Amino acid sequence: MNPTLKFLLAVLIALEISFTSVWVINVVLAALGLIVILWHRTPWKRVGLLLLVPLIPATALAVAMLMQGRGNNNVHFAIVLFTRIYAYVFVGSAATLTTPIQTLVMSLEQNAHVPSKFAYGFLGAFNLMPKIVSEVATIRAAGQMRGQVLHFWSPQLYFKAIIASLNWSENLAEAMTSHGFVEEAPRTHLTVITTSWWDWVLIIVPLLLLQVGLFAIPLP
Amino acid sequence: MATVSVDHLSFSYTIGDEPLKPTLTDLSISFVSGGFTLLTGPSGSGKSTLLKLIAGLYPAFSGKVTAGHITLNDQLLSEISPTKRSQLVAMMFQNPNQQFAMDTVENELVFALENQQLPPVDIMPRIDRALAFLEITDLRDRVISTLSGGEKQKVALAVIVAMDTDTILLDEPFASVDPDARQLLLGKLARLQREDHKTIILADHDLEDYGNYIDQMVVINTAGTALTPLSAQEKDQRLASFSRSKTDEVRFALPDKKTPPAIQLTDLKLTAGTRTLLNQPSFVFYRDHVTLLTGPNGVGKSTLLTAIAKLHDYSGSIIVDQTEVRKSRKRIFYQELGLVFQDAEEQFLNVTVEEELALSTKNSRNADYFSAKLPDFLKQLRLDGLNDHVVYALSGGQKKKLQILEMLMMGTPILLFDEPFTGLDFTSLQQVLSLMQHVAHDCHQTYVIVSHQLYGIADLIDYHVKLKNQQLTYSEVLA
Repeated sequence: MNPTLKFLLAVLIALEISFTSVWVINVVLAALGLIVILWHRTPWKRVGLLLLVPLIPATALAVAMLMQGRGNNNVHFAIVLFTRIYAYVFVGSAATLTTPIQTLVMSLEQNAHVPSKFAYGFLGAFNLMPKIVSEVATIRAAGQMRGQVLHFWSPQLYFKAIIASLNWSENLAEAMTSHGFVEEAPRTHLTVITTSWWDWVLIIVPLLLLQVGLFAIPLP
Repeated sequence: MATVSVDHLSFSYTIGDEPLKPTLTDLSISFVSGGFTLLTGPSGSGKSTLLKLIAGLYPAFSGKVTAGHITLNDQLLSEISPTKRSQLVAMMFQNPNQQFAMDTVENELVFALENQQLPPVDIMPRIDRALAFLEITDLRDRVISTLSGGEKQKVALAVIVAMDTDTILLDEPFASVDPDARQLLLGKLARLQREDHKTIILADHDLEDYGNYIDQMVVINTAGTALTPLSAQEKDQRLASFSRSKTDEVRFALPDKKTPPAIQLTDLKLTAGTRTLLNQPSFVFYRDHVTLLTGPNGVGKSTLLTAIAKLHDYSGSIIVDQTEVRKSRKRIFYQELGLVFQDAEEQFLNVTVEEELALSTKNSRNADYFSAKLPDFLKQLRLDGLNDHVVYALSGGQKKKLQILEMLMMGTPILLFDEPFTGLDFTSLQQVLSLMQHVAHDCHQTYVIVSHQLYGIADLIDYHVKLKNQQLTYSEVLA
């Protein structure tokens, strides 16, 4: 499926379930998301994390609802909130885990016509991630060598990280320019990402089904 | 064949819109078209700045041209559109980690060729040829961040070859490249110049190995006010005197095996990308002594220091203070051992000079000694009167001096120095050397120093270790 449309579908689904409260649909969406994730051979460890990590906010929300709510509705809303978190996580993961970041950026540039400056700037920044991790380790070591422990909430850590990022962003811009990148100039594309009629079917049909599930059939 | 000319060019970096002291003043030169030019001069003289100006990166990204201009094939550079310019001139940077925007080698090449609006059918053949030319076809699908410095620079040159620009600029391209890769890259550059008539301008302060390749040598002076092309005779003299000055006639003692060890290496293996840097059955750095570590660019001297400082993975064993470095607790470990980074700014934690010094005084293991001597040390290093200055706005030399001082002040028993003398002029070097000697003696510290700068440092050094062919060995001579 075209990456831009895939993300659009995920966002629309998330928006819609934010304003409705049918927990059966949430469960169905989460299950469908899970099937897509498993279909793409996502490592088990990752699937396990996706199941476990949302448990904390989901439980917290549900418990808060049970304690705060008055009347008969609170059990229902607790279940809705609990399942909604899982629907968000699995629908979102079904979109992100099945799309290489490179493809998404190319699709945003070619299909959604996001300015190439943003598309490639984002990609460049994304590729800097491993460097940021090692930079933070270096900053903390530099602190400890001077007898200062920098916790992840220390402003100094962020100050230093921001200085490093400013340097990198300038370097990245210079690197892109020296490799011929010019803002707003036309570029050719080795891989052309197309949108076919099938992509539109894949976005419209699920959305229609969702409307039916949410509004036409009385589900709890 | 391209003609690059610089005509009465002056350039200043700016803060806001205010120009600072000019970095380059009234420079003029015509580079040999279709030739290989070596641009040399002391560090900080503006070599990089000049190359970035020719590449069109400046003044677009930084600074201001206050007078004069640059022409490419008799056309004003400022009037050539950026897309057109990228087809005429390309630049390779000093730091191999700063030239790529994409994740893999192939994606970076595709990115550059798409930018040049090359028709999609031509992209893959162009990439095949560029990779084959650099003999790195096997690196095609590799993630760039996993490559060694030498491999990255080969990829950087492959991108330039694929872009097929007439002019190739290189800014100290071999600073973190191993000797084999350096030879290969130099050979390829010579072929590009000979066979494809590329105009090549390369900046370096290290003149080794260039003799056979270059047509022209241009010297820039310290102040950036003059560019002087040397005659063939002057060029040969300079190349010859450079290789001589590296062989200092100093003799060092070999260590006494009974000295207690500071750092013990056993079956230590270090790698960068797929390349093995070090494979050492056993080695000892001795306590209370100053050891100099030398070796060609890119052999892994800095990597060894970062591994000892718990900032790089290793296999085998590194023992510091009877503890395996890998297993040590950071907070305790860094009280025993400190690393003076190559880049001074990495060391700074605060904003002003005063705050930096206060932090070191507060946490020093020898607080009394250093608070008593600090005013003298500051005077000695000419850092007095700078208390309320912002550390990031100090000059390169001042940053380096402050960095070394604040690390010495910690009184850490073992200190590793990664190129502590670069960017220091002769007077500053003398000040720093005498301070280090003084403190090492008074505080019984162990130093391991990696340095290219060998001139005048013999008095500080007790032992000399060479890193070559993946092995560390003690050596009596510097050559």
